[in-house]
Amino acid sequence: MPRGPIRRASSGVPIVEVTQAFKFSAAHRMHNPRLSDAVNRRLYGRCNHPSGHGHTYRLAVTICGPIAPLSGRVEGGDDLPRLVQERILDRFDQENLDRLIRPKDGVTSTTEVLAAVLWRILDAALPVGMLHRLRLEETPNNFFELERDDPGAHAVPPRMRPRGGGVRKGSRA
Amino acid sequence: MIRVTKRVEFCAAHRYVNLAWSEARNRRAFGKAANLHGHNYVLEVTIRGEPSPETGMVMDLKALKEFIIRAVVDDLDHKNLNVDVPIFAKTIPTPENLVVFIWTRLARRLTGCQLYRVRLHVDDGSYVDYLGERGSHA
Repeated sequence: MPRGPIRRASSGVPIVEVTQAFKFSAAHRMHNPRLSDAVNRRLYGRCNHPSGHGHTYRLAVTICGPIAPLSGRVEGGDDLPRLVQERILDRFDQENLDRLIRPKDGVTSTTEVLAAVLWRILDAALPVGMLHRLRLEETPNNFFELERDDPGAHAVPPRMRPRGGGVRKGSRA
Repeated sequence: MIRVTKRVEFCAAHRYVNLAWSEARNRRAFGKAANLHGHNYVLEVTIRGEPSPETGMVMDLKALKEFIIRAVVDDLDHKNLNVDVPIFAKTIPTPENLVVFIWTRLARRLTGCQLYRVRLHVDDGSYVDYLGERGSHA
């Protein structure tokens, strides 16, 4: 077995990924209004069923950063449960996704489109660069992941985090 | 007697609504469950019987799975329970009512062994069991 180096911050401290998982229940129907009913049925199969269906979605949010010397922890994750609760679960749990996904988000409420929407919301709410990976499971067998394409992002030192609950307006996504 | 369990999954939308109540009273009683939302349900069906001396099986598990799918899952999976399952137009599609519906469907068609239990998981933390009418004193 090769014993390659682990990822480290410029200070030499190991960089660790920390994941927290959440759940929400929602209804949806996959249907692109720009396509005919027949094409929609072929494209989305049973997910195009006219009156809709639903899932228990599992959302896993990963932040990534150096181990802070004083706490021994990757800092910034403490706010995550509250942010996910307020920005995502309060908005999406026990709701019909088709009423929440807007045309500018994507053609329809596929889990790919939903994952991208949740990424945008969380990336805007968390300190710059902190969100590392987002995994959205539609069922235990089907899941969708987005990951930051920015190898330097996790090196953002904790002191760069904004004050006041760590909530930042505006997003790069 | 041996008990044999098959586990299958289905995904469906539903909402809790008591049609005899006002919108406000439904909201108070059911909260956000009054909105259309959905679940990944996990259904466990347990049958009971003696293994056949010829096959060593109470029931072939593949046949049991196909039976469950034909008898109930085909009518529930990727459906809106309130709209697509006639009984749930008026009956509230709670897990309690769903297990009784599933039990009735299965029991009516099952031959060669007994239905022992229907268990419906709504999520990792909660499930509902129905053992039929005998359940309370079995």
